[in-house]
Amino acid sequence: MQSILSRDFVGGIVAIVLGAFYLNLAYDLRSSALDDLVGPGGMPRAYGWVMVVLGFALCAVTLVTRWREQKSDHWKDQGRRIMWAAGLLGIGIAYLLIVNVVGYLLSMILLIAATMIYHGERLSTKVLASSAFGGVMLWALFVFVLGVHMPPGLLTYVGL
Amino acid sequence: METILTSASYLLDYHIVVAALIGVTWGIIGGALPGISPSITMALLLPFTYSMEPTAAIVLLAATYVGAEYGGSVPAILIRTPGTNAAAATVLDGYEMNKQGKAGLALGISLYSGVLGSLFGLIMLMMLSKPLAAVALSFTPPAYFALGILGLSVIATLSGDSLIKGMIAAVLGLMIATIGTDPVTGGTRFTMGSSDLLTGIAPVMVMVGLFAMSELLAQVSNRGASERVNSKPKIEFPSFKLARRLVKPQSIGGVIGTFEGVMPGAGGTIASFMSYNEARRWSKYPDEFGKGSPEGIAAPETANNAVAETALVPLLSFGIPGSNSTAILLGGFLIHGIVPGPMLFQRSGEVVYGLYAGLFTAAIGLLFIGMAVLPLCIWIVNRPRQYLNAFIFALILSGIYSIHNSLFDLSIMLTAGVVGFLMRILKFPFLPTVLGLVLGYLVESSFRRSLVISGDSYAIFFNDRISLALLCVSGLFVFGSIGKRIWDAIRHKKRATFSEGTEG
Repeated sequence: MQSILSRDFVGGIVAIVLGAFYLNLAYDLRSSALDDLVGPGGMPRAYGWVMVVLGFALCAVTLVTRWREQKSDHWKDQGRRIMWAAGLLGIGIAYLLIVNVVGYLLSMILLIAATMIYHGERLSTKVLASSAFGGVMLWALFVFVLGVHMPPGLLTYVGL
Repeated sequence: METILTSASYLLDYHIVVAALIGVTWGIIGGALPGISPSITMALLLPFTYSMEPTAAIVLLAATYVGAEYGGSVPAILIRTPGTNAAAATVLDGYEMNKQGKAGLALGISLYSGVLGSLFGLIMLMMLSKPLAAVALSFTPPAYFALGILGLSVIATLSGDSLIKGMIAAVLGLMIATIGTDPVTGGTRFTMGSSDLLTGIAPVMVMVGLFAMSELLAQVSNRGASERVNSKPKIEFPSFKLARRLVKPQSIGGVIGTFEGVMPGAGGTIASFMSYNEARRWSKYPDEFGKGSPEGIAAPETANNAVAETALVPLLSFGIPGSNSTAILLGGFLIHGIVPGPMLFQRSGEVVYGLYAGLFTAAIGLLFIGMAVLPLCIWIVNRPRQYLNAFIFALILSGIYSIHNSLFDLSIMLTAGVVGFLMRILKFPFLPTVLGLVLGYLVESSFRRSLVISGDSYAIFFNDRISLALLCVSGLFVFGSIGKRIWDAIRHKKRATFSEGTEG
């Protein structure tokens, strides 16, 4: 079983599941008397079926060729890597949650500092100063130079 | 020749020269920021053009477009984030060269090829406007469908060691492209009741997620990996020998870019990917592609800069903007009471000749401004990884938010980043997904419109000569690639693994 669950085989399974899910949604698309020959669901259904077939093909090719492959640990360290990546993703999600409340400038400073620390940098004056510099620079670039409206958040109370 | 001489006289007008230099500088900055498209960069300048002299105003906007199309390659090479859609193809070999400590050379090749592409495109614009306009007019919906299929056939080459995985990745992109509004009936598809998805998912969000965000996730998960080689903070132009080697891919890029640019809706993305594909096909060193091949940068950069020039053909000749950027330029014309179209040359010839002079100045200015700005960019990316990655993360979040001022867009980008990270682990290539996403709308809308026109007869795709020719070429690409894979398998020849998106 261990040797079957190669990356390609798992990829094939994912493709089948994704294709099936997409097909389910595609067949639920409403048709109308005004539709053309293909209609809104035509191409999506074709894509869905192609995805499912390709998924099966990938699984089949993997099974046929697996006897040629040497046994190898396909998933060595992947769990640890996924956990580390999830941490960075968590920082991004936290940014999404606080930016409208705290404001773009302060959220950026916090994001930059958190990312540096997560990458192994120790909390220090240098990290804080770099974060502040980066946040202010991006704020000035996007808000003042490019005229993009960013969430002001707490800065509203100081008139910015 | 008369056109060239008349345009040259406008080089003495300092308003045009200054406008061109300011425009190209602003364009490079805007194009280099992920999420800030060339059209947004141009739109930001529109209010300033109200009080300007008409020719200078048009030159300012057009030069911004030229600068922005080049500017997108800078983050593509340095931080694996295409600043524009068309720069996605440059990521492949540009970022690989950067990892090898050759960022200066990669940027130098990109700049050199971009300037050549701009000048070549400008010459085509000046000399061949009429025949190129005829090409644009002859493209019907079946021909656009066939063009989209031709673009997708590139997947056969970009799939690396597994054509099946490449096709799965491409179909994923096509599936994402169906989200939003149906191109023919206007009904909603796969929006899950969300109003944010009514306009679909902009390719730039997925590209930034797949390339940049997944790279950040991969780097943070790869603790203990050796630091990459730092590049000298100096731009490096190709040697004479390397420049000779680049002539072929640059020629390929220039020709493809010229023709793709004149076709409304085709765009620089198709041109850059097709150029990359063809450059690889005709290269003496095809195995180097995807691993830091200079040709892999030269071809797409020449193409997308040529597109920036020839995209003006349908605008100037017919008043038809073929892209968002040329639509902004059309706005610039209309603000000053100038109507592009068949009578433009008769009624406002001085604007056209002044524009040509301005574009020439912008192309030359691109070279010098690039040489001044790029060493600073290299210095920035040589900073310690912790600092650089934090700044990149902040930059891409800011850039994507600036598209629609929407946190939903950021969630899309983060999701695409997760998908890209998982694709890396499962060793699926990214580029086919990008191709599918960019071409999905063109393929489906053209296909269905063609059937409506023909009364549901599929013969329309074979009766249209351009469509038939392009479909035949696509078939040759795909079956040729499959045949080569089978032949290599029979001979037990190890197929070069495409390095992009396969580490994990």
